[in-house]
Amino acid sequence: MLTINSLSKSFDKGKNYAIENVTFNLKAGQVCAIVGESGSGKTTLVRLIAGLERPDHGSITMEGKVIASLSKFVQPEKRKIGLVFQEYALFPHLTILENVLYGISKVKDKKNRAQEMLDLVGLSDLGKRYPHQLSGGQQQRVALARALAPEPSLLILDEPFSNLDTMLRTQLRNEVFDIIKKTEVTVLFVTHDTQDALSVADEILILQNGKVIQKDVAANLYVNPNTLYVASLFGSTVHINKNLQNAFRCPLKETCCHAIRNEKIKVSPSSVDSDCEYLTAAQVIKKIELGDSIQLLLKLESGEQLTVMTQDKNIADTIYIGFNSKDILEFDQEH
Amino acid sequence: MQQGGNKDEAFSLKTRIKRLKRDSNKWSVFTLAIVFFLALPIIFIGVELFAGPGETWGHIVEYLLPDYIWNSFYLVFFCSILVLVFGVSSAWFVSRFDFMFRKQMEWLSILPLAIPSYIVGYAYAGIFDYGGSMDLLFRQLGLEFIRIDIMNRAGLAFVLSISLFPYVYVSARAFFLNQANNLLEASKMLGVSEVKTFFKLMLPLARPAIVAGLVLVLMEVLNDYGAAKYYGVNTFTTGIFRSWFSLEEPQTAVYLSALLIIIIFALILFEKWQVRKIKFTSSKTSSTQIQRRETKGSTHWLIFSVVFLPILLGFVLPVAQLIYWAVLTASTVFDLEFIIISLQSFAIAITSAIITVFFALLLIYFSKWSTLSAIKNISRIGVLGYAIPGAVIAIGIMIPTLALDKWLIKMLGNFGIDSGLIINGTLIALLYAYAVRFLAVAYNPIDSTALKVDNSIPDSSKVLGVGNLKTFFKIEFPLIKTGVFSAVILVFIDVMKELPLTLVLKPYHIDTLAVKAFEYASDEMVMEASIPSLFIIFTAMIPVIFLNKLLIKK
Amino acid sequence: MKTILAVAIFSLLVACGNENKKTDNTEGQEANKDQVVNVYTHRHYEPDQNIFKMFEEKTGIKVKVINASADELIQKMKMEGKQSPADVLITVDAGRLSRAKDEGLLQSIDSELLENSIPSHLQDIDNQWFGLTKRARIIAYAKDRVNPEDLSTYEDLVNKKWKGKILVRSSSNIYNQSLMASIIANNGEAAAKSWAEGIVANLARSPKGSDRDQVKAVVAGEGDLAIVNSYYIGKMLNSPDAEEVKTAQKIGLFFPNQEDRGTHINVSGAGVAKYAPNKENAILFIEYLISEEAQQVFTDANYEYPILESVSPVEDIRAWGDFKEDNLGLNKLGEYNKKAVLIFDAAGWK
Repeated sequence: MLTINSLSKSFDKGKNYAIENVTFNLKAGQVCAIVGESGSGKTTLVRLIAGLERPDHGSITMEGKVIASLSKFVQPEKRKIGLVFQEYALFPHLTILENVLYGISKVKDKKNRAQEMLDLVGLSDLGKRYPHQLSGGQQQRVALARALAPEPSLLILDEPFSNLDTMLRTQLRNEVFDIIKKTEVTVLFVTHDTQDALSVADEILILQNGKVIQKDVAANLYVNPNTLYVASLFGSTVHINKNLQNAFRCPLKETCCHAIRNEKIKVSPSSVDSDCEYLTAAQVIKKIELGDSIQLLLKLESGEQLTVMTQDKNIADTIYIGFNSKDILEFDQEH
Repeated sequence: MQQGGNKDEAFSLKTRIKRLKRDSNKWSVFTLAIVFFLALPIIFIGVELFAGPGETWGHIVEYLLPDYIWNSFYLVFFCSILVLVFGVSSAWFVSRFDFMFRKQMEWLSILPLAIPSYIVGYAYAGIFDYGGSMDLLFRQLGLEFIRIDIMNRAGLAFVLSISLFPYVYVSARAFFLNQANNLLEASKMLGVSEVKTFFKLMLPLARPAIVAGLVLVLMEVLNDYGAAKYYGVNTFTTGIFRSWFSLEEPQTAVYLSALLIIIIFALILFEKWQVRKIKFTSSKTSSTQIQRRETKGSTHWLIFSVVFLPILLGFVLPVAQLIYWAVLTASTVFDLEFIIISLQSFAIAITSAIITVFFALLLIYFSKWSTLSAIKNISRIGVLGYAIPGAVIAIGIMIPTLALDKWLIKMLGNFGIDSGLIINGTLIALLYAYAVRFLAVAYNPIDSTALKVDNSIPDSSKVLGVGNLKTFFKIEFPLIKTGVFSAVILVFIDVMKELPLTLVLKPYHIDTLAVKAFEYASDEMVMEASIPSLFIIFTAMIPVIFLNKLLIKK
Repeated sequence: MKTILAVAIFSLLVACGNENKKTDNTEGQEANKDQVVNVYTHRHYEPDQNIFKMFEEKTGIKVKVINASADELIQKMKMEGKQSPADVLITVDAGRLSRAKDEGLLQSIDSELLENSIPSHLQDIDNQWFGLTKRARIIAYAKDRVNPEDLSTYEDLVNKKWKGKILVRSSSNIYNQSLMASIIANNGEAAAKSWAEGIVANLARSPKGSDRDQVKAVVAGEGDLAIVNSYYIGKMLNSPDAEEVKTAQKIGLFFPNQEDRGTHINVSGAGVAKYAPNKENAILFIEYLISEEAQQVFTDANYEYPILESVSPVEDIRAWGDFKEDNLGLNKLGEYNKKAVLIFDAAGWK
């Protein structure tokens, strides 16, 4: 339903690109998360899709129609896209109900529709209040109700939970996506938090420095990351550099970059017990007990330090760590 | 490889032109049309420049220009200092401390704006004159009066500063009231003293606001004609009048105006540069208003006096002098006609204020909606009128409008209609001129309030399917209302006081109070000018008080 | 919103009020067969209003006035060209009238009354403008410090004995420019220049303020002599401010150059505009301004010297006695005006 083709945007006439040559598409009914650090171009990308910025190159097609290209530009108000802003952007001088009513135009009984939306987000009784009288979570839900009220074909959520504390965040995220599922709208969900993305998205798109690094379903991203950066987004990862290759005596292809996930590194008390292909001795420098598991800070003979996890409570000062070749992640180049 | 291709292609000329075509919308066209409309007089003045200066240009450069430059810089320098001292100290004290009559002094400090600065000049001359009020007072007390000569460059700097400092006061106070509290509390928690907090924290943070007010003051200073002429100080503006009228060389006057415009441009760029450097304060409004501190003993009296002094000098003294003169001359000068003239002045001022603000809104929002980044910069040309002396604008207006009038007369003549002048000599030309001259006065407060509305607010309205115009009326206008009202009031006051433009362009049978006051004053009947001057002050006072209410409510 | 509405409605009402007033005027004009005369005048004097009213009552011709400085009025007429509604241009000096003539803004008129009543040096040779009232540029001196016998001519003011004693206003003032023009016309450019330099060298202070301020400065002791316009002294003597009256009484007046060409005088005058839509009315109007009753108002209320010999000046200025006038044709004032300003600048007369 949404196709983005070699999209580029620069705010300084081509010196730096906020978005560079981005291409992807989105199927109807899907929830797609865009993950990236701050400054990776996430917000610019959604503003381009919403029509709040104009692309310098490339095109955006929605439901078969070009909505932005070098020759065409459809105004944001004509795009039928719902957008929930990071700071909610509720209209401070309008009541909650008026806020929700604001975008509804085609439905006959506007009031009813607005009330329905408020019911949907569980704020049925607060219609007469003003935004500043609500808590952050409530404002969030109003913003969602407002965005959904005109029945958009695409809903974009721009870092919707970043202003909330952790407890509220998980709860609200689940609530919000429960609501969204009921509406069957296609969703583009921008976040810097992989937990958010993993828990709700059908597909995840990784953005780094304005470029798409990878787009895939969550499971694939874990198993088959394109880069070390993607790998480390989904769990702590150790880069197997030259020193580690020597320590473990595992010669690897020089043209590629390799890594191993921390949880794939196995700990054994002696070299005999291990069934790993590559093995090395390590000294325990520090143990940190984390409830049912223990985090170990290790020092290898070569001087390298790394961290591993183990369930074993009886750890000697010197242990053996190792991994198998099937668990090694291989990338084209270092990122 | 494909990426590189994309990069090169995205900013190739061909792609740029394609984008230009895509991004030029009706708003760009409208903005350009408005800018053209507002800049028309300036363009015509600019065209004159190509004709070259008059033959006395060399004479002016040799004998007068060094004096003009030196005097203008002298005034800019000393007025800046005085205005900053008066404006910022008053603003800080009324926002931060509680003292006797604080509430009253809060709005009294704006009142000097209501008096045209040339009237303040006359009043001070009257106060310090031989046989003037001070002289009389001292004689009553049996003291020897040491005559203070105020009619010189320093006196002029004082008079202009004391009547213009409220521009700085208003903008600095708005900052202190609305944006400073979080930082102030943070500073208090760090155990920093009141004095250090002010100098190390508040002053640097308020700088963009203060500088914005200061630039307005300096433009007024450089444009002053009445007071400078009376005090015998030759500035660019008196020079423009001299070369235009006494030397009969409008081209030379245009050259001097161009020089003056360059100086003012430099000031504006300086302001832009300042604000860019300290961008961090622009948009965040503190949720809580500043907490006022109680004061006691000598601190209390010190603060009271610091705030009261500019009010005394800028309002109480000159008004007292005017009232004294008014009492002396009331029997000969006052008649009911003044009520009618007051109403006319009021109606003209409010109408032109609304029109000017309307244009400012169009300029700000059309350029925002036009997606070409260049348009926003071009739109700033529209505010240049404030930098140009009123009399020069009057000429700039008359050249194109008369051409249009003559064309209209010819066209209508074809249909056998004898129309006469349709634009000139009617309110249309006058209102047009006010809009050109005072657009900057309306533009600044609206622009700064508009900046405080986060972009996501109008953006979310657009995403909800509402177009630009409707978004403006339903969302943005309610949020920038205070800025719009302030703009209306400021333009209103300026129009009430305006003189040179009005003199040249006003229609028959319409008089304004400023014109009336000038008629007397220009013929050395300063005393008789007091009654119309007082009418100006009282008419302008009402909205000034209203303005203050607005600023506080915010 | 409410406030905006209220304000808008109010201004509409006021505007309508104006509108009504306009219709009233038109009705009034219809009764007077639509007769009007449009006057561009630099004279912003209250008594003028009375004269205009007297004219309206007498002739039924409505007087419409635009008040501004002569310079601005001339610019305005130039730009308006053929469409200019102006019928009459009135200025407070002859220099500007002759400039208006040079710019082709005035026209010659046939009026025996004007030609015969006004002394020939006080009207234009081509009958384009006519003097209405006279003012003399005289010397006000401190009675207690100056012996009037030491005073003689404008030229003598550059004498070293007056060093630091002379007070005069800025050279941007038209009366100073006209005085200088008369000196150029009488003595030549070089002499005029050294005269200006001599005056600057003798100044008590940098030129500033008005003529009245020069008088006050004499009494305050800043200087001994002030070059001022006669009618301001008349006004000061009749000021509502008792202090000003006292001040004016403390000075003596001296009419310079009585032994040679006479004291420099200037006129306030009027001309008919080139494209005057109401030429006949304009002539009637100017003729009325030199009628005895109008002249009497000029002198009685504004302390100017009447242009008619038959009208005697008001008591206050009659008391200064008769004096010999410089009979220089006033066209010269316009001719040398620019030169005068250039000389002022070069001499450093601010």
